[in-house]
Amino acid sequence: MQTQSKPTVPAAVPGDVVGSDIIFEGRGLNKSYGGLHALRDVDLKMYRGEVLALVGDNGAGKSTLIKVISGALVPDSGSIRFDGTEVSFARPTDATAVGIETVHQNLGLVDELDVTQNVFLGRELTQSSLGFLPRLDKQEMRRQTVELLRNFSIAMPKLNDPVRKLSGGQRQIIAISRLLLAEPKLLIMDEPMAALGIDEGSKVLQLVAKLRETGIATLIISHNLEHVFGLADRVAVMKNGAMVGVKRTDETTREEIVSMITIGALHGRGAGHDGH
Amino acid sequence: MEGGRDMTATEAVTATEKGAGNSDVRFRFDNLGLTLVLLALIVLFTLINPRFASFSNMINVLTQASTYIIVAIGMTFVITKGGIDLSVGAAMALSTCITFDLLDNGLHYIPALVVLFAVSIVLGTINGLVVTFLAVPALIATLGTMVTFRGIALLHSAGELYYGLPPELLWLGQGKIGVIPVPIIVAALFVLVAHWLFNLSTFGVHVRAVGGNMEAARLAGIRVNRITIATYCIMGIAVGLGGLLWMARIDGTQATLGTAMEIHVIAATIIGGTSLFGGRGTLYGTVLGGLLLTMLNNALVIAGVEFFWQLVAIGIIVISAVTINNIRENRIAWIADLRTRSGLTQLFENKKGRN
Repeated sequence: MQTQSKPTVPAAVPGDVVGSDIIFEGRGLNKSYGGLHALRDVDLKMYRGEVLALVGDNGAGKSTLIKVISGALVPDSGSIRFDGTEVSFARPTDATAVGIETVHQNLGLVDELDVTQNVFLGRELTQSSLGFLPRLDKQEMRRQTVELLRNFSIAMPKLNDPVRKLSGGQRQIIAISRLLLAEPKLLIMDEPMAALGIDEGSKVLQLVAKLRETGIATLIISHNLEHVFGLADRVAVMKNGAMVGVKRTDETTREEIVSMITIGALHGRGAGHDGH
Repeated sequence: MEGGRDMTATEAVTATEKGAGNSDVRFRFDNLGLTLVLLALIVLFTLINPRFASFSNMINVLTQASTYIIVAIGMTFVITKGGIDLSVGAAMALSTCITFDLLDNGLHYIPALVVLFAVSIVLGTINGLVVTFLAVPALIATLGTMVTFRGIALLHSAGELYYGLPPELLWLGQGKIGVIPVPIIVAALFVLVAHWLFNLSTFGVHVRAVGGNMEAARLAGIRVNRITIATYCIMGIAVGLGGLLWMARIDGTQATLGTAMEIHVIAATIIGGTSLFGGRGTLYGTVLGGLLLTMLNNALVIAGVEFFWQLVAIGIIVISAVTINNIRENRIAWIADLRTRSGLTQLFENKKGRN
């Protein structure tokens, strides 16, 4: 993979960091469901154009964390800075408004609609015909879809086919590319490679690698350490709702990450939370 | 149409530009079969009775079909959204009875028309509100309103037979422009407007999106409830317009008007290829479906078959239409199983790629 260069994460990370490169910063995030403390004082920073993998066992709090970041859950306490300003999200549209888009595990595609219609769902382009009737600008939407897919070198079947005819990987790619239309600054993906074959999974990986080149930060939940090390600049490990630590993938090993996931602590060189 | 899976981006672009124009082409292909069936039936009926193919009878069929087609167009919006409306016949009876009553009491025909559409739209909106805000499944909601509307119509005018419309309204049902009866023209105009809404506007895409995957539609920022209520409003407008043409054509109405209309209208819609599971619909198919059913009725009448046989036929047709669609979409487990064993699976790729 030629995209192994990691241009945007400052060399000093983790450690003290130049402020303007930070796109997202969550501090002291807490969330409880009844007696369950799903997030405990979680801190997380993300830099422009980096791919950050979020790993941890089931129930470690990964899903809760991305729901908080994407506005689907309101944290009980804590603060979020995004792109230099303090933000708080009451609902997902608040997050999309500032440039955070989320690829949900169920993809959010409508099987019966074709590729173009799915890509533009909810933000259709119209033109006026006969001077007053607004009508869908199908050609322009198709043109932009082709361009979008071409930019990311995505091979696609006919855009007129309903997406139910597409394979799992193609559906995943459509789900991602439709979000790119909104020109997000942060893209969150929940297990994008789950349930994909090796070949299809690698296509999704290639797409994520392309995204990095465009400066979009990507937060990606994954269970697959192979993918994590092949793709991510840094990896954040959670356990029991707390952030165990964040490591650069070129400064850690699988063994260390596995022990962070299972034991819940760093061993050796004491590097703590990112930024502490 | 399949087999494009491994295209490169460039190939995909070429294919796309070649197919530039529209996704509606697919629907026309889907409807090709139905069009052929329609033509075959015309030939068959004509062979049985040459009178069937006469110009006057064809015009007659189209005139009869106009009310059904208009209401079925409304039903296409509702079913594509993933809903259904059983109350159309009752709503038509109630709105036409109230309108006729007011006319009989001396109301001018223009405000009477306003009342007709106001009542039918309100009745449609009630369905939409019950389905969305009370979360009652559409089948039960409209089963309930069907009985309720019919009950109100009977309370209002049980046993009464209204007749004697003002000439302006009669013209809508019985007049002609050139050789073409007005109802046909009105229906054609309605189909055009519906075509714009359904195939050319953002609204049409959102109706399909909500019917196909409500959660995805919601995530995409579509106001799901608003779309749902809007489809029932359109249904209401269709019921008002269809009712207007009907009462003008027969110059009368009564509280039992439109009994069993829902089954005819739903039949026309799903024969046309609109999926009862939501997300997929075709207006062209609905128009064909409406024509097909009306022709069938007409042929049975000409052949002197008792009316009740039509009910027998229509029930069987509805079930057959859905079954055929299910087979095409591989929804029936034991048939899918047979197919796999006989090695025919590759011919039916519809289900592939689904989660």
